[in-house]
Amino acid sequence: MPRASLFIPCIVDLVLPGIGESTAALVRHVGHTPVYHREQTCCGLMAFNSGFRDEARTLARHFIQVFEDDATIVSPSGSCVNMVKNRYPELFADEPDWQRRALELAPRVFELSQFLVDHAGVIDLGAHRHATVAYHESCSTLNGLGVSAQPKALLGAVRGTTLVPFKGADVCCGFGGTFANAFPEISTALVAQKVGYFLESGAELLVMCDPGCLLNIQGYLHRHHPGKTAMHLADYLAGGLPGNPGRRP
Amino acid sequence: MKVTTDRFRQTALEELANARTQKFLQILPLRLSARRQEAYGSFSDPEAAHRLGQAIRGEALARLPELLETFERNALANGAKIFWAADSQAANRYIADLARSKGARYVTKGKSMITEELGLNDHLAQCGISAWETDLGEFIAQLLEKPPFHIVGPAINIPVEQIRDIFLEKGVLDQPTLDPVTLGRAARRFLRDKFRDLQMGITGVNIAVAETGTVINVENEGNIRFNKSAPKTLVCVMSLEKVVPTLADALHQLRVLCRSATGQAAGAYISLDSGPKKADETDGPEELHIVILDNGRSAIYQNRHTREALRCIRCGACLNACPVYGKVGGYPYGWAYSGPMGQVLTPALRGLAETGDLIRACTLCHRCKTICPAGIDHPGLLLHYRNKDVQADPLLQGRGADPRERLAHRLFALAGSRYTYWRIFSKVLSRAARLFGKGAMLRGLGPLGRGWFLSRDLPAPAKKSFHERWRQRKD
Repeated sequence: MPRASLFIPCIVDLVLPGIGESTAALVRHVGHTPVYHREQTCCGLMAFNSGFRDEARTLARHFIQVFEDDATIVSPSGSCVNMVKNRYPELFADEPDWQRRALELAPRVFELSQFLVDHAGVIDLGAHRHATVAYHESCSTLNGLGVSAQPKALLGAVRGTTLVPFKGADVCCGFGGTFANAFPEISTALVAQKVGYFLESGAELLVMCDPGCLLNIQGYLHRHHPGKTAMHLADYLAGGLPGNPGRRP
Repeated sequence: MKVTTDRFRQTALEELANARTQKFLQILPLRLSARRQEAYGSFSDPEAAHRLGQAIRGEALARLPELLETFERNALANGAKIFWAADSQAANRYIADLARSKGARYVTKGKSMITEELGLNDHLAQCGISAWETDLGEFIAQLLEKPPFHIVGPAINIPVEQIRDIFLEKGVLDQPTLDPVTLGRAARRFLRDKFRDLQMGITGVNIAVAETGTVINVENEGNIRFNKSAPKTLVCVMSLEKVVPTLADALHQLRVLCRSATGQAAGAYISLDSGPKKADETDGPEELHIVILDNGRSAIYQNRHTREALRCIRCGACLNACPVYGKVGGYPYGWAYSGPMGQVLTPALRGLAETGDLIRACTLCHRCKTICPAGIDHPGLLLHYRNKDVQADPLLQGRGADPRERLAHRLFALAGSRYTYWRIFSKVLSRAARLFGKGAMLRGLGPLGRGWFLSRDLPAPAKKSFHERWRQRKD
């Protein structure tokens, strides 16, 4: 079986490890052997977005060294994948050797739904899950990677799942990394708007491809609408695979 | 105009709490976005038209010095006068001196962001010359001393009662009324009177054409055409990046500009002026002065990153796409340019010292970049500015990093640079997790993350990281 190297974002490693396990299960399910390099740490996205490029480069060099021998790298985070694919080359604009290594790495890194559909060629995972779901288009996934059809196709192929139209699906949830903490009132207005559209949609679950949006939306739901749930695509799909029905709520 | 870019936060809070602002933000950006999209549909190949518009801006910038020289040569040959203004003081002084030499007690103006940038109205007032804005929205904003709420609807959020009151106070209106048509007619009568005996009119410039020496303006009210045709002396003020190579380029840029700004295939009035009135012509200004403003732009131009900000054609489509603008409106940005347009232009023109919030008030969602007809990578530029701010870049007047923030990023990068350090960091976090229950959602962390916890809970760190789970797995 071909190998696929798991790129587990630091948030997933430390705070939401279940998403990493679901990712591994899905990779295995589509006929790949998941491998995990224990040396991996963080891609440097937060440092880069905050303007600390020296620190981001430190992390990016480490990332490249850990992953550059892998043929296929898969991650359950649109924003982290976008960082590696689209920002690393720019980050090393003044270091041609590292830039070359970043550019060689970029085409081998896949966001999870992109990996499943475009790389493994699987849309129907054979999953069963009874729920009405809406799909939130995470900004980095949609505008950074151009990934939108893949997760919706995967959800649409799950037996028992109804994907409902979602107003404002492609409007930012207001996370923006440190933005959420630095401009809390604006961020709150945006997440409240996102959740409002979710409630209007009639869906039971809001599914997305980015752990950052998930922290934001789920954190808001937990505070204000405890009965409602946001979920990572990996958890939703893996939960419907044969053998582990609805493993996590 | 008063510059309040350093009050972004406070003004944003006020606007979030302003019911009227919120009401208009529910309508205006969405409607303009929808109109834009519909208008783009009238191109036979919208994507190609979009890319061509971006390519024209790219070429215009790449050849900027040469194009400006060509423009100057051709405009002079047409009989126009050219004044190169190094900064706003030079431009304001030139315009005020000109008005004085023509014996003008007042001037009229077409809506232009560049004269807002100059603070021209205030300067003229100090010289004893009144400046009348003649675009209806801009006229209202001027009377109320408010900055523009939106680039294509400067006063769209102003309640009609407030317009009635200010019109009565300023003598625009005789009898109180709330009828919008009557109010509009009153403003028209008031401004027509100004045009009748006009010595000098001032407009901005949407596009300047190098090969013909032509200045082009787009509008919907006809007031700019009045400004250009009624007075003996016409002053057109342009920032130096407005020039494009050919008339064909200009026409295509007009197509994308009008569609992007208001969702029109073309504005109601498009004026192309090549020089003043010719000997055999019956109307038009006797003198045409074109003021070409630098105001820091040639310094911006030297850097290939910041140069990208000069692509902007001021259509305002990015405002309508921006989630943050959609919540706070135009006032918090504190200067002539609001929304993502302001976030890329203002820091470049005024420096980072007073725009630290502007460059960070962005979620990096990339919607502005996706729709920008000029091909600006707004998030890329904001990330560049953030880096320059942290580095205390002298050209952009970066302030340097907050020492605690820098220390946090240094320590995190150090932890992430070695496997062993990262495991220690991870262990510390999972130890901390034991303080909380299984699957706990935190409601606060003392002094940490107050902004986050304003409206959100946060999962506690996992007792076992993915790393540990993977190591202990049984399959």
